[in-house]
Amino acid sequence: MYVGEVDMRIILVGYGIVGKGVTTILANKYLEKNTNCRFNPKIVAIADIDGAVINSQGFSSEKLEAFKQKGYPVSADAEFGHKSMSALEVIESVEAEVIVEVTPVNIKTAEPALSHITKAFKSGKHVVTTNKGPLALAMPALTELAEHNNVFLRFSGTVGGGTPMLEFAKRCLVGDKILRLQGILNGTTNYILSEMGQNNMSFQDALTNAQKMGYAEREPTMDIDGFDTACKIVILSNWIMGKKITLRDVDITGIRDVTLEMLKDSVKRNSTIKLIGTVDNNKASVKPVEISWSDPLCVSGVLNAITFRTEYAADQTLIGRGAGGIETASAVLRDLLDIRHKLASKLLS
Amino acid sequence: MKKVIMKFGGTSVGTGKNIRQVADIVSQYSKDYRITVVVSALAGVTNKLLEVAGQAQKSDETLIKNFTEELLQKHKEAISSAIVNKPLQQEVNGIVEKIIVELEKILTGICYVGELTPKSKDYVVSFGERLSAPIVCGAIQEDNIEARCFTGKDAGIVTDSNFGEANPLMNYTMHLVCEKLGAFLEKGGVPVVTGFIAANQDGVVTTVGRGGSDYTATILGVALEVDEVWIWTDVDGIMTTDPKLVPAAKLLPQLSYQEAAEMAIFGAKAMHPRALGPVSKANIPVRIRNSFQPEKTGTLITKEPVANVKQAVKAVAMIKDLAMLNVNGAAMVGAPGSYTKVFDVLGKNNINVMMISVAASEANISMMIKRSMLSRAISNIETALLEHGGLVSEVTAEDDVVVIAVIGAHMKGSLGLASKIFDIVAKKGINIRMIAQGSSELNISFVVKEKDGVEVVKAIHEEFDLDKT
Repeated sequence: MYVGEVDMRIILVGYGIVGKGVTTILANKYLEKNTNCRFNPKIVAIADIDGAVINSQGFSSEKLEAFKQKGYPVSADAEFGHKSMSALEVIESVEAEVIVEVTPVNIKTAEPALSHITKAFKSGKHVVTTNKGPLALAMPALTELAEHNNVFLRFSGTVGGGTPMLEFAKRCLVGDKILRLQGILNGTTNYILSEMGQNNMSFQDALTNAQKMGYAEREPTMDIDGFDTACKIVILSNWIMGKKITLRDVDITGIRDVTLEMLKDSVKRNSTIKLIGTVDNNKASVKPVEISWSDPLCVSGVLNAITFRTEYAADQTLIGRGAGGIETASAVLRDLLDIRHKLASKLLS
Repeated sequence: MKKVIMKFGGTSVGTGKNIRQVADIVSQYSKDYRITVVVSALAGVTNKLLEVAGQAQKSDETLIKNFTEELLQKHKEAISSAIVNKPLQQEVNGIVEKIIVELEKILTGICYVGELTPKSKDYVVSFGERLSAPIVCGAIQEDNIEARCFTGKDAGIVTDSNFGEANPLMNYTMHLVCEKLGAFLEKGGVPVVTGFIAANQDGVVTTVGRGGSDYTATILGVALEVDEVWIWTDVDGIMTTDPKLVPAAKLLPQLSYQEAAEMAIFGAKAMHPRALGPVSKANIPVRIRNSFQPEKTGTLITKEPVANVKQAVKAVAMIKDLAMLNVNGAAMVGAPGSYTKVFDVLGKNNINVMMISVAASEANISMMIKRSMLSRAISNIETALLEHGGLVSEVTAEDDVVVIAVIGAHMKGSLGLASKIFDIVAKKGINIRMIAQGSSELNISFVVKEKDGVEVVKAIHEEFDLDKT
């Protein structure tokens, strides 16, 4: 460690695919001593559903690798394991700067992530999350609570993952007014609709294929009934357009009722049907919409795309891959760096 | 089904008989509305709690015992006349007794420590509403309505930790209130929520301060997205002026949020602007009604006043117990920051300035402050700015004055209005000591001698036909 390096102690909450991805990326970061951003992240605890591992000095990259090899449950570790310790206890009692919340999504109650995040705020810790649930159900509340406790909440892994949609709109379009945003924000449904439209495959076969390829979950409701897209719409709407809405305010229709006939019919008009999420001044919605092939939004396969309609700079479209585990984990690193920079300017001001 | 908040003030829940009436109102409307009830403490209890808390820090233990006995008696009496059903009566008695035991412990603690922090003060004051709510709740249950008691904290109202004057974290509160009351309301239940009190994010009791239980009502109204907020009180609504001064005073059937905020100078009978904040943003109408005459429709406060009433002047108020303070000093002329020094001295000494008037010559500032604060204000300004700074050359005061405020949204841009008002005063041979009108033009305020106050109010009330609306 060289002089002037800034330590950032991190508690990782959730040890699934994204959680493991985060440890991989951070472990690599430890080894990159040539980094000139003076950033030294250390994982001081990992909390999962059945316990935690804690090391106030930070786990070495070898140890993180060992956890991953050994697999579930992480709390079984003889040296650092705390078998019955809950994530809430860890968040409250372990000293750290940032909580990385990557537990599974729950769009009914947003738990346990919602409690994790509020507990973190109350104990003065910053939060990076990739979990859409708490944001979809209580984003205005959470941003207010973060501000009240003078901490940061970052969530770029929730929308776009690898494609920096949130940052693009917030930073690159600053000064302009975004009048409407519209996007294909879910790779799974886009894959299914593309297969149906291009290869004349039935909905069920396309879904089964998507599951085989690992694009769709075994329980695909979140994707095909439009909830995942709706969650992203809520986040975009709050963060970029300043509209304080929650999931209840979004009018949601999934793709179950899109038939091959409808798709064939749209071809006659040089169009196809996509699951589009939209927010404008009046309302937020998610529904299958017929769009022209020439529309820049019209991307195929697992690609995502979003068009920002601005007051002065007209339409801007971003296209990128939907997120897998490692893309999402990279968004976590982006957020951690952002917090580190924000903290630096805050301390100086 | 339409949703309403019904807030009942201290007099409306002042006695057991009144509480019975409150329960009847709730049960009558519960057929057509989903109701959330917000209650104040029984009349006088909050002030008494504050007083006793203040005395407790001076370590008088016998006083605590006497007070809690008296408080228990008062609430038991209320229970016995509000609730007829014996088992229910017993149940509520039990709840109240338990709360009073807790209060006694707190007061004894303050007594031993000999210190009353803002935090413990809020806690003590919260007992007023914590005691009244179970009684109101019991009385409503007696009418076979599923009612349940919630403290502000249980209902999900979260504030910052500014004890005594806590500000709600509105978005977080909206989220929690929906979560905590939503399902119960959907099932047809009637939540009875303690007004005035809330909690910070760590669950420590806070009070919302200015605006009080009305503020709680409007916060809940916004969180639950209700159709209207009804403030039940002991008057018919907001009047054109104080009926004690002018018997011809009339009820104002409709007002805008802005006008209603101006009416705050009428004092306890109107709503504090702070309480109007949440609803005016969310555009939820507020209705002020008389719980002793529930058949009357009261005053409706909405975004826009009704179109057909284009009348410029809506109301006239007289504000008493004030004094005029004049600060003179040639050194203030053209000196940036000189006024800041004057107001800084007053602010630091906790003196609120109600009205200000300065002519373009800049050599003299006139302001209205509470009469009880006058000596303190004079001495502080003289000490800070006359002796040391030399900024001020003379401080004078008049303590036999009142403010007359003429109010109305359509006064804006209405030509000749000021001339008419001052003409009325001049015709009575009365001198005006000071004048102020902000650019919002909702309010023209001026100062006359106290002995002339009532005559001026009567004359303006009559000349602007306020008795004929």
